[in-house]
Amino acid sequence: MTTEALALIVFVPLLVAAGMVVLPRSWLGLLIRIGLLPLPFLLLIPTMEVVDNGAYRVVLAGHDSPLGIVWLLDPLSLLMLWLNVGITLLVSLHASFSFPPSDQPARRFWPLWLILFASMNALVLSADLFNIYVTLELVTLAAIGLIAVEGKPAALRAAMRYLLLALMASLLYLLGVGLIYGQTGVLDLYLIAEHLEPAWLTITALALMIVGLLIKSAIFPLHAWLPAAHGNAPGPVSAILSAMVVKVSVYIIWRLWFWTAGDWDLDSAATLMGILGGLAIVYGSVAALVQQRLKMIIAYSTVAQLGYLMLLFPLASTLAFQAASYHLVSHGMAKAAMFLAAANILRSVGSDRLSRLAGIDQRLPLDVFALALAGVSIMGLPPSGGFLAKWLFLEAAREQEAWGWLVLVAASGLLAAAYLFRVLAVMCLHPRRRLRSDRRRRAPNLASVAAILLAVGAIVAGFASAPVLDLVAAGLPPGLAP
Amino acid sequence: MDNAALYVLAAAVLFGVGVYGLIVSAHLMRKLFAINIMGNAIFILMVAVAGPIDGAPDPVPQALVLTGIVIAVSATAFALALMVRLYQETGRATLADDNGPGNDD
Amino acid sequence: MLGIVLDLVIIASLIALAIQVVSGASLFRGIIHFIVMGLTLALAWARLGAPDLAMAEAAIGAGVTGALMMVAYRRLVEITPDHNPSRTGSRSRLALPIAVGAGGLVGLLGLGATLSDPEPGLAGLAVLEALQDEALGNPITGVLLLYRGLDTLLEIAVLLTAFLAAVAVTRREDLDYSITTRDPHTPLVGALLAIIVPLTVLVSVHLLKAGSHDPGGAFQAGAVLAACGVLLVLTSRVSASSQSRPLIGLGIVAGLISFSLIGLAAMLRGEPPMALPGMWAVYFIETAMMLSIALTLVLLFAGTESLRRNQHG
Repeated sequence: MTTEALALIVFVPLLVAAGMVVLPRSWLGLLIRIGLLPLPFLLLIPTMEVVDNGAYRVVLAGHDSPLGIVWLLDPLSLLMLWLNVGITLLVSLHASFSFPPSDQPARRFWPLWLILFASMNALVLSADLFNIYVTLELVTLAAIGLIAVEGKPAALRAAMRYLLLALMASLLYLLGVGLIYGQTGVLDLYLIAEHLEPAWLTITALALMIVGLLIKSAIFPLHAWLPAAHGNAPGPVSAILSAMVVKVSVYIIWRLWFWTAGDWDLDSAATLMGILGGLAIVYGSVAALVQQRLKMIIAYSTVAQLGYLMLLFPLASTLAFQAASYHLVSHGMAKAAMFLAAANILRSVGSDRLSRLAGIDQRLPLDVFALALAGVSIMGLPPSGGFLAKWLFLEAAREQEAWGWLVLVAASGLLAAAYLFRVLAVMCLHPRRRLRSDRRRRAPNLASVAAILLAVGAIVAGFASAPVLDLVAAGLPPGLAP
Repeated sequence: MDNAALYVLAAAVLFGVGVYGLIVSAHLMRKLFAINIMGNAIFILMVAVAGPIDGAPDPVPQALVLTGIVIAVSATAFALALMVRLYQETGRATLADDNGPGNDD
Repeated sequence: MLGIVLDLVIIASLIALAIQVVSGASLFRGIIHFIVMGLTLALAWARLGAPDLAMAEAAIGAGVTGALMMVAYRRLVEITPDHNPSRTGSRSRLALPIAVGAGGLVGLLGLGATLSDPEPGLAGLAVLEALQDEALGNPITGVLLLYRGLDTLLEIAVLLTAFLAAVAVTRREDLDYSITTRDPHTPLVGALLAIIVPLTVLVSVHLLKAGSHDPGGAFQAGAVLAACGVLLVLTSRVSASSQSRPLIGLGIVAGLISFSLIGLAAMLRGEPPMALPGMWAVYFIETAMMLSIALTLVLLFAGTESLRRNQHG
């Protein structure tokens, strides 16, 4: 059953996307439902499998590695699948309003959207270095197509820059894969560990792959492409880019670092990764503080928040793993909520310049509420998922007496509070002015509901953490298991 | 396959030429030339560094490179379409000189 | 000895061409050099003992990529007739050191890897061993369809995605017919097509069939077939259309859908997904992929999502 369910989780959205190319437009609404709605139910089957047995391998075509390609379902990949399915479904609710199936642009948007969805499902399952390359290319091309789908010059330029950097990043990754295959003769992520000696050649190869992935996940100082791309994309696309697309590359780095090279002594490299994360947090927050556009603030906030995921490398413990995974979940929901709310505001006001948003809470209370609620989690205030993730980071740092990281995590919440309160202050506290908006079109309410649901999710994550934390603790990499 | 080392060196030079082209060219099509040259260099390397089997090159990296070639042409095709549209909209086929990211609403 | 000389000549021309491509004065000549470089690279693949890659490089790397670059250049010229961009952007002093450093690193890694006399790859050995039980003679086709089918399926999906993304960014209003000949009735064109079209179709079918035992396969065959389609576009036998047609749509996704459905159907027989039921499935999937590849490439060339037929005597 699990094999069948996993195959469908990847292939149903992919085939539906293909169907959209063939079938007439009147089918689009139905196809969207077929491609998305069954997924949470299908995902229950692998969930039972992981709860019962821990992990599960799908040997594709019946040819085990080294000959063939294998999918590995374990607690971490299950978490990623749930995150992708959950966030994509909620964001799709919003997208069904910003790209209604009856409109012309819908035919361009939805096939790419479903391909992006399917490819991220395939990516988190893949246990094969080269298959990951192909899948990453699929993710990247679909994502960039979606950024440019509205044809606005700023978005086109951002898409182009992203594309060039992503292609370069893929080449670095591929170079590493080629070298590692030359040395080991295998491509299976988990099998390589048995054949890979930490020599200068293999370490450099792995480093090249990781640098490629760091570019794709926009980790400081390789983040330059992100703000324009995430800040100019259509609302639902921004949401999924920040919530999922950059994260899946970090996820692959975790796999390489803790599974493939789990036995290696990478302490100094781990510190370097942590420092990059720290710089990302500080730089992203400060840059967010000086932006004039709401979506750019949220985009720079992503640059900052991605930094936390890097703290896992120096801290490397059960607690740190739980913290980073939980950050993945809560930031995913909160950031998606923020981008959706910002999209509603942008659509309603016609601009997302802060100077135009004074007193907007009167007109768009639901969206401002979603923004504020998600902000609570991003700032790490209790009670929210973001708070819990930060708390776990602090605990992890205290446990290892890593005081530097502790101070960083503690202080970074203040930075996030600074840029978010600046936004909220303009919207809610500013002496009300007459809005100069010429277009008084209100965003449809269900689009706001999607934002609210995600924001509430990020808050509720602060209470209902036990299942996720237990899941993550059950799926620790071999080196970290107690 | 006794010429593998020779082609590895060629790949290194090609990669360097590609990197140079990527840095110095402003025009997007030239940047795409450069990225394709870098890609070709890596393809050569992938086949050349794998241990030969009975004197013939390993079929696995060959299949991977075949896949890589198709991916490269796909990405290039999309990039060219994007470049044409960017040129239509902005009159420029470069990324330079834009007034900072996201300055236009 | 002769071999070494040949290798050196190939490598020297590759490098010289690459330098021409990135630093030549004219964009148009850059494209020409790029195509010639692709053809030289095909020779290099042949010298490395990889005839499948030689074919793919000539057909796809040089041919298709070159054609796409040409037509994109044509569109730029259309907008600004004297499209003559300044050669360089940043005249950074760092460019040369960075390039030398990057090339040096790749060379160091590559030499280190080659000179360590790597063992035959476990995956490669497994392929050759497993292939003895199959009716396939070409190990690369075996890897692409039987053992690492998911890569190939996702690669078809990458091509589809690139096409969808390209269509999404192409302005609908300006379907241009400028790439076609102004005078499709030139007497020789019809006669020429009458010879070339059946010939290319034959060649691509042969390449497809050969792929099971000799170098060749769906991708090379698709590229050759695409060349035929490009010719039909250029001679205005078919032209861009904004009206979507189900048959065209079906052609675009035929490869992806048939591979996916046959791969999923394995589970009905109690086998793991992506297991193929026999040689007929290999031929069927390859044929469908060839058609999809060819059609998608032609559409990318014509910059459109659909085509229509024109009647010319």
